[in-house]
Amino acid sequence: MIRIPPYLQKGDTIGLVCPAGFMPVERVSECIRVINEDWGFTTKVGSSVGRQYHYFSGTDEERLEDFQLMLDDDNVKAILCARGGYGISRIIDKTDFTRFKENPKWIIGFSDVTVLHSHIYRNYYVSTLHAPMANAFNEDGFKNEYVQSLRHALEGKKIKYQVKKHEFNKKGEGIGELIGGNLALLAHLVGTDSDLKTKGRILFIEDVGEYLYNVDRMLYQLKRSGKLDKLAGLIVGGFTDMKDTERPFGQNVHEIIRDAVAEYDYPVCFDFPVSHEKENYALKIGVGYKLKVGKNKVTLEE
Amino acid sequence: MERKTFIQSSVATLTASYLPSIPRLHDGEGETLFVSPPALKLGDVIGITSPAGYIINQEIQSAVKKMESWGYKIKIGETIDKRDFTFGGTDEERAKDFQQMLDDPKIKAIMCARGGYGAVRIIDKLNWEKFKVKPKWIIGFSDVTVFHSHLNRNFGIASIHSKMCNSFPDDWTTAEPVQIETIESIQLALSGIKMKYNAVPNSQNKPGVADGILIGGNLKMLETLSATKSDINTAGKILFVEDTGEYMYNIDRMFWHLKRTGKLSQLKGLIVGGFKIKVDEDADDFGRTLQDVVLEKIKAFRYPVCFDFPVGHQKNNYALKCGVKHRLNVAANEVNLKEV
Repeated sequence: MIRIPPYLQKGDTIGLVCPAGFMPVERVSECIRVINEDWGFTTKVGSSVGRQYHYFSGTDEERLEDFQLMLDDDNVKAILCARGGYGISRIIDKTDFTRFKENPKWIIGFSDVTVLHSHIYRNYYVSTLHAPMANAFNEDGFKNEYVQSLRHALEGKKIKYQVKKHEFNKKGEGIGELIGGNLALLAHLVGTDSDLKTKGRILFIEDVGEYLYNVDRMLYQLKRSGKLDKLAGLIVGGFTDMKDTERPFGQNVHEIIRDAVAEYDYPVCFDFPVSHEKENYALKIGVGYKLKVGKNKVTLEE
Repeated sequence: MERKTFIQSSVATLTASYLPSIPRLHDGEGETLFVSPPALKLGDVIGITSPAGYIINQEIQSAVKKMESWGYKIKIGETIDKRDFTFGGTDEERAKDFQQMLDDPKIKAIMCARGGYGAVRIIDKLNWEKFKVKPKWIIGFSDVTVFHSHLNRNFGIASIHSKMCNSFPDDWTTAEPVQIETIESIQLALSGIKMKYNAVPNSQNKPGVADGILIGGNLKMLETLSATKSDINTAGKILFVEDTGEYMYNIDRMFWHLKRTGKLSQLKGLIVGGFKIKVDEDADDFGRTLQDVVLEKIKAFRYPVCFDFPVGHQKNNYALKCGVKHRLNVAANEVNLKEV
């Protein structure tokens, strides 16, 4: 069985770190305020928040040190990655998960944080949280159901989401551990020590700003590396800001994904609210879920 | 007779069942037998096909005329002039055309008309049985890396990484000398001449001498083939990589991928070709050069490394024989690669 880190109690500490791209501290302040004042937790703000080394939120050593400190601090019950960007691939193999293994805590984020989700699921079999990050709290975002879903997940409320149908959905019911994240990162991790095992699992994917041909190519990679044929179900999240080449690809992203899995008979749903946009429900990686794709609605529940 | 010469000259008469009994050219893992398709003779036929992006007949005419002037006959495949959006025909049409070229005993080499995207969509539809028994040269780069890698992994059959039809200039009188020379290098490679290349020394090269089978291609393609049945096997080999149109962060990520999949640890040598790096729109400064990005991944290894090798999405893109043994020599004042 997957290990579930303890859910958070009032007053518990959430550590904030930037393991990848630079984020100005003022973009994190609303997130800190809401967690402290509205959610009743306390925050510990890491030294990588607001720090900058070129593109990154500090050098590899600085980002690693901050993340490691949060992993090893027993008072920190959850680590919220303030933003993604790029950079976790540079520190993942230097991170020491020994303490974390003994004292699991929630690791939260998406996009580049997919590397952490995959790596921890594959190597330590501890649940993590694919969820909105600091920026989602800004401009009143903290009030929406997606940021709220992160709070509910941390408090241990059982997750059940219901979403609208999509014309390409494939009906059916699948039960399995939920895994997934950003498609480009999942493809990048294939063949590494952080690679996902997908057999019998429900896989979710999302991406942003990719060329259509590249989405197609990544799906071919997953397919040809045997990651799509034995799923319990597939959840297609948001594929936003897709780009096309001068010579059009000739299919939209939904058609590309539909065709890539046409030969399999597991349930598939499209436009699930997991994405780089506002629509981004908290999902517990590694936890058993039931995906039900019906004629009129889709449900995903723990 | 030298082992390799024996293997090469025997290729035409080999059948699959004889393969285990002949002397083996070992790669790093001692598994794969590498063979080169027969060199082309005057009058031999080169087939032109589009396994990826679409191209019109007019755009390949310069290549047709040039290759005819080398003394070869040209067979133009059905995918030339065909179009399915970005592709040179549907998957079925592209696979069928390529299959015909693979199976036609008269065709001694298959020149991919251009790259783009699409080889990975047809690779698993192809039947390689005839090709394995009577290998022929497959020519191209960029998306064609799928074929080089697939041949390397599965059959140990050599192929040519080079410019394609869309790089042949319409007007040879205004072409730069390097354009002409790199295109002529395709003919040299096909004719069986042992190849030799020089590169301009880069101050960040790591010196040394290495002997090994040459493999490689487009870095992005190599990443997307990872853990598939076309995944490249790099142990004991000299690896070359090139790429175009990628952001520096992505190039960094791809080199991490090579490292984390164990593809850099057992190399004999590393050749870094041309990298056309996309400038970040929002002036995100990555803070590292290409040399930094490469060298930090291989700090622990002692093999020679050279930068600025003339291979890539650029005019300076010489024909390289993948799956053939080469010697890489990286010194302070000279860099060369030669077929041995």
